[in-house]
Amino acid sequence: MRSLLLAAAALGLGVVSQADAQESCPIKLGVVLPASGPMGQVGERIAETGQFAADLFNEAGGVKGCEVEYLLRDTQGQPTVGVDAAKSLIDVEGVQALIGAVSSGVSLPILTSVAVPARIPQVSCCSSSPSFTELAQSGETDGYWFRTYATSRTQAAMGALLTSEQGREKTAVIYVNTDFGVNLAKQYKKDIEKLGGTVTAMVAYNESQQSYRAEVTSALDGDPDSLFLVAFPVDGATITREWLSLGGTSNLIVNNSLRSGDYLEAVGPENLADLVGYDSAQPRTESVATFNSLFEERFAGPPDGPGLHSVFDAVNVVLLAMEASDEITGAAIRDNIRNVTSPDGVEVYPGVDGIKEAKALLAEGKTIRYVGATGPLQFDQWGDVSAPKLTWRFEGDKNVEIKYYPLDEVDALIQKLDN
Amino acid sequence: MRSDWGVHEVIGFFSYFVFFMIIALIFGIAVLGLNLQWGFTGLFNAGVVGFMAVGGYGTAILIGRERDAIIGGFELPFAIGLAGGMIASGIAAIIVGLATLRLREEYLAVATFGIAVSIQLVALNAEWLTGGTLGLIGLPRPLQTWIDGPLAYNCFYLALVITVVAIVYIGLERMVRSPWGRTLKAIREDETAAASLGKNPTRIRLEAFVLGSMLMGLAGGLYVGFIGYVGPFDFQPIVTFQIWAMLIVGGSANNRGALLGALIVWGIWTSSGYLVSNLVPATYQTQGGALQVILIGLLLVLILLYRPRGLIGEEDHVSLHAAAGSSRTFKESS
Repeated sequence: MRSLLLAAAALGLGVVSQADAQESCPIKLGVVLPASGPMGQVGERIAETGQFAADLFNEAGGVKGCEVEYLLRDTQGQPTVGVDAAKSLIDVEGVQALIGAVSSGVSLPILTSVAVPARIPQVSCCSSSPSFTELAQSGETDGYWFRTYATSRTQAAMGALLTSEQGREKTAVIYVNTDFGVNLAKQYKKDIEKLGGTVTAMVAYNESQQSYRAEVTSALDGDPDSLFLVAFPVDGATITREWLSLGGTSNLIVNNSLRSGDYLEAVGPENLADLVGYDSAQPRTESVATFNSLFEERFAGPPDGPGLHSVFDAVNVVLLAMEASDEITGAAIRDNIRNVTSPDGVEVYPGVDGIKEAKALLAEGKTIRYVGATGPLQFDQWGDVSAPKLTWRFEGDKNVEIKYYPLDEVDALIQKLDN
Repeated sequence: MRSDWGVHEVIGFFSYFVFFMIIALIFGIAVLGLNLQWGFTGLFNAGVVGFMAVGGYGTAILIGRERDAIIGGFELPFAIGLAGGMIASGIAAIIVGLATLRLREEYLAVATFGIAVSIQLVALNAEWLTGGTLGLIGLPRPLQTWIDGPLAYNCFYLALVITVVAIVYIGLERMVRSPWGRTLKAIREDETAAASLGKNPTRIRLEAFVLGSMLMGLAGGLYVGFIGYVGPFDFQPIVTFQIWAMLIVGGSANNRGALLGALIVWGIWTSSGYLVSNLVPATYQTQGGALQVILIGLLLVLILLYRPRGLIGEEDHVSLHAAAGSSRTFKESS
């Protein structure tokens, strides 16, 4: 009761500070992910991988000698539930950092109505919407937003680069009508125009239809010499078959989802000889292999699924930033995320030994560069990361790599396109 | 240092409680709207979330900032945005109502459900208006620059929501106790009888439908103003289910029941997450999601088993003359 009065008094005086440091053990890490609902299958594995990262960190001695408590809350894929879970983690549990969520439609309300007002950093493994970058650029995230998932920005740039390298000038675009497809297609249009090409038609398609004849017909208007296709294998195959049978060019440029045997088989290798595509490349560093083998040891299977690599890094970066903070507050974690991913820091790797080494370096006051499951993470000023890319094509019944684009080449390309 | 339940914890709990109440009461407004439609008039609206979406987007478009390639961004004051959102959902309700209100119960339910899904699809695809999949970001929260600190701001917003709830509640109570309100019930119980007494059921059903839908729009607008963002993801069909669960648990045809139901059901929905996260051992945390859903379902079923008419059911209404004799002991036989 007395503390209630005190609280009331504090409220009345307006001296309430939300940025109370969390000083005692265990150190709590708030995690909001969809463990049930439509994204439940994906979310559950992501949650387990995040937990695995926290377990490894604990094996290496935890944060500042304290055990890390991984507090998982289910968003059920619903914004209101996610927002409530995040608020409760911050207010009731006193967490100073949030991991999550998966869908941009859930991460965004959490960011604007909970994380930023409470000055708590939010690190997402999986939200790809460009809205976050836009928010950050307009100064509305105060730097509290990070994501370890490369946005569709680089994909659009790679698509445009491939198109212009092939010497195509008039390109039709067919894209899946989701936030992923829409953003990618729009950005592609901007990029290809910058590189001297033109877009003859932008056609969105809705998923899981029997036929896409109407979409293909309108994409054929304007006599394009190439097609940029953003699709998933099943619908992508339907579209490609109809495109070719209606007389469309075989010069296809496709996104990473079509780098699949299903797609190749459904369309037939003989029809796809002129196809080129891009994909995110796993960086050629040891850290990725380290993560993969750690993962296989723990889960008896390879880490193939969306968001697994990126959530592992999200958790590690946040925990390292906590370790680097004098006092564990949201603002300190936000600032130290930069110090543990600094391009001129000493490189450290995932796993128990790597974390131990990182902690020793931080104790000496050194800046470090965490090179994790997604390779060397480097957040730009808006909290986004980019990733190395590769280009590929089909050769017979296999897909083969054409060229590897390391991170700095990708960054240079983006720089060129954005200015 | 500090004891287990020091001042920080109390403030933290209080801060969360304020946040919880804001969301629960915003839902409460939508439940009051549904109560007018289903509880008092017997209209099975399975498209609640559609009208919330129209109100939410309507408000967002009016208050939002100017943006490239999107109509709207009028930067109007929040109150005008709210009113605009309500009017938009009212207009939507008139159109939907004229088209569907001749349908009865399950047919109306199917039609309205379809309409809600269509509205969500429009929100998803009408990029020039709704921002499409990206939604509308960076919406100004009312008076944000004037109030410092998240807790103070949330207290302000809660006061705003409570005021709105009070106005809506008092207004509805007066309406349902008026001759118009009695006509609603008459239509609900026996439309033919009501018509034979010279009432126009079609018109009155439409009035109740439009008013209820405007309240759902108001709830959508208040939600958007609080969150500062609107997207198609906010209006999934499950929200309609939640609003219905709130009404049925609280007590259909009772406005206090509607509000109580909103608090109880949203309380169960959110606290189950807290419980699962704190009671389930760490190694099973990732399975907690399924457990939470089971827990929610179980609690809802239990409440309905023990209180089949909801926590506070409909008040019995008897003729003044009959009530004079047996006062409050009279029970409806049902």
